[in-house]
Amino acid sequence: MNRTASESSATPVHRVGSDVPFLIGLCLLGGFYILLIVATLVADALFTTPSDLARALRSPEIRYAARLSLFSSAVTTVLSLWVAVPIGYLLSRFRFPGKAFVDATLDIPIVLPPLVIGLSLLILFQFPLGGGTTLEGMVGSTSEWLVGRRWAMTYAVPGVILAQFMVAAAFAVRTLRTAFDEISPRKEQVALTLGCTRSQAFWMVLLPEARRGVLAAATLTWARSIGEFGPILVFAGATRFKTEVLPTTVFLELSIGNIEAAVAVSLLMVVMALVVLVVVRALGAGETVGRAVR
Amino acid sequence: MFKSFWLAAAISLAAIGLLAWAFVATSARDSATGDSTSADGSRAKDEPLVVYCAAGVKPPVEAAVNDYRKAYATRVELAFGGSGDLLSRMSVARSGDLFVAADTDYIEIGRAKGLIAESLPLATQTAVLAVPKGNPRGIKSIESLVAPDLRIALANPDAAAVGKEAKSILEQTGLWEQVRRAVETRGVFKPTVTDLANDLKLGAVDVAIVWDATVRQYAELEAIEINHELHSPQTVTIGVLRSSRQPARALHLARYLAARDAGLVAFEREGYKVVKGDRWQNRPALTLYIGGVLRPAVEQTIEEFRRREGVEVNTVYNGCGILVGQMKSGGLPDAYFACDRSFMAHVADVFYDPLDISRTSMVIAVTKGNPHGIGGLNDLQKAGLRIGVCNPQQSALGALTERMLRETGSLERVMENVVSQVPTADLLVAQLRAGGLDAAIVYQANYARVKDHLDAVSLGTAAAVAVQPVAVCTQSPYANLASRLVEALRTAASQKRFLASGFEWVGADRPVLLGSP
Repeated sequence: MNRTASESSATPVHRVGSDVPFLIGLCLLGGFYILLIVATLVADALFTTPSDLARALRSPEIRYAARLSLFSSAVTTVLSLWVAVPIGYLLSRFRFPGKAFVDATLDIPIVLPPLVIGLSLLILFQFPLGGGTTLEGMVGSTSEWLVGRRWAMTYAVPGVILAQFMVAAAFAVRTLRTAFDEISPRKEQVALTLGCTRSQAFWMVLLPEARRGVLAAATLTWARSIGEFGPILVFAGATRFKTEVLPTTVFLELSIGNIEAAVAVSLLMVVMALVVLVVVRALGAGETVGRAVR
Repeated sequence: MFKSFWLAAAISLAAIGLLAWAFVATSARDSATGDSTSADGSRAKDEPLVVYCAAGVKPPVEAAVNDYRKAYATRVELAFGGSGDLLSRMSVARSGDLFVAADTDYIEIGRAKGLIAESLPLATQTAVLAVPKGNPRGIKSIESLVAPDLRIALANPDAAAVGKEAKSILEQTGLWEQVRRAVETRGVFKPTVTDLANDLKLGAVDVAIVWDATVRQYAELEAIEINHELHSPQTVTIGVLRSSRQPARALHLARYLAARDAGLVAFEREGYKVVKGDRWQNRPALTLYIGGVLRPAVEQTIEEFRRREGVEVNTVYNGCGILVGQMKSGGLPDAYFACDRSFMAHVADVFYDPLDISRTSMVIAVTKGNPHGIGGLNDLQKAGLRIGVCNPQQSALGALTERMLRETGSLERVMENVVSQVPTADLLVAQLRAGGLDAAIVYQANYARVKDHLDAVSLGTAAAVAVQPVAVCTQSPYANLASRLVEALRTAASQKRFLASGFEWVGADRPVLLGSP
């Protein structure tokens, strides 16, 4: 045995070394980032006091802003999925002329500074369309005709949702496209040869398969929209009890030097986001586990 | 598979509907506090609105109010009389909601007596000599009134606006005493302009001084102009009474009467020259652009205004450079409250004359206890200091800071120490408080809110003052509504809030003018 071992130094045999240094390296690199996140939260928490938090929770403005944040980002998520699933599917499964252009266009909302997106929406909706009307006016008259009430887009709640949607949908598209790309088209092709239509293959084969991707896209969209601020400030304003979302509250409190309240609201957002994301992911994981068991 | 598609669509719609319902239902509590006096006139209240109305403007007001009653199923009671009569009536009764005066003077008298709050202009009318068609007595000018045996009718100067106007014209020509005696012997003094027109129509008198609009309402009469140097057009104005227990409803009706596509149409039909009124909207929405530093000073005033008028107010707070950028790209607000005159000048062509409201000086905010011993502008050049300033393009404060540093010749050396350039001063305060800066040049008003946490060093130069003007946009469909908001910002209650927020009060005395852009 000893001999063989000494021989092996001359003609080296592969030996499995320890995984520990590698894992430690991973933990160090990754831990640095996680530590940074946790440290900022701790610093935030130390900057504020329980009474600041309680005051923030009692304030009707902040309660309204929290509800509007939850409502608008949930609606944005649903709407984003409705555009992101088709776009992601088309980009992933088809080749067509101008695809590179479409792909690049979808990056614009991600690349543009948020303020510019708000400004662009503002310009678009006030742009004269001829006949003395604007897009804003058309929204008003259409809604008046449909539901008997004049809805506004600019400086109103629908504007908050549109501003969030502009940015968040782009993220949903990216995520879903990757999710569809990773699923081999093989199963769908089998379904097609077995007599399915494309629509059936999509609904019965691809979409169930992509469930996790859809969930990931939904959580990312939601998280992105609840933190959205720049375009909302410009396009929807910062009207209390109307278009004030939680990031707006932080901005408004900060703008009068009330850092305690700003931090308290930020922590409130962190808690809300954590709860929602953990619950959704747990539900999603449960579902995939359930499917695997079946 | 279309079934799956419809299922997904139905679930999505249901989810959105449920979310919207939950949001609206839970928010109703909050907004209910603000909208108890909702201007939505469709809900007829038990108490009718009482409008005191100058008799001369009865035809258009009655027509417009009838339309209003139908459109909003609400009760409105009209009481007619001479403007002066009505004014003394309401100062005794201390009740009622609105007052339509034939001439703004009565509104001003009422305001001085504490009877009237807001006022809205409606139309203009001019005093003329009225004679029967064909002018049988050959009247040419005001001097013709001294002709013997002429039967003259005038309105009582104390009771009616047109009587006051006639007296003023005659006094300027030196004919008042002579004409007054002639009226007392052969003619008649009547309490309202309508009585004068009726007397003329019946042939009981030969000539009367009435409003041009009155003559247009009587086919049997003809007008002779009075020398323009003696008088100017008077403005029919509606005032909201302080006695009104339902100001939002009263203002709703007042806005209706003063709207160019609602009440003013009736005035135009009756021959009045109408003012450029606001566009009619049951619940109009004003959009305000406001420099970020002003928010604590104006927020409550705006909220009170919104409730009293029963309108929507959208507020956009940001650095003035950013707001100007938004305006340049076409997003015009109804009114703009700038951090400094310099940032009003950029967009002056689309605003009526700005009014200065407040001012605030600039200070160097430093860490509590001033550990670096900063005593003035010169100390900012000390090596190793971390200084924050505002961006000169994005904010008024930044532009003022740059100008001041350039004038004192320290711009380059101070800029070497500048580690943070931001669009609004509040970010500097936040950075200071978080320990990222040693000193920052901010407004006194920024500092005033955090004086427990920071110290401030005075700059002591006259250049270091920013003046905050507010202006109404010439393109606004609600320019009159916006100017009432500006008025609200100039009240004593608003002044208190400005002072409490660390501003000094400038509060110009002249009224808000929508005349010249």
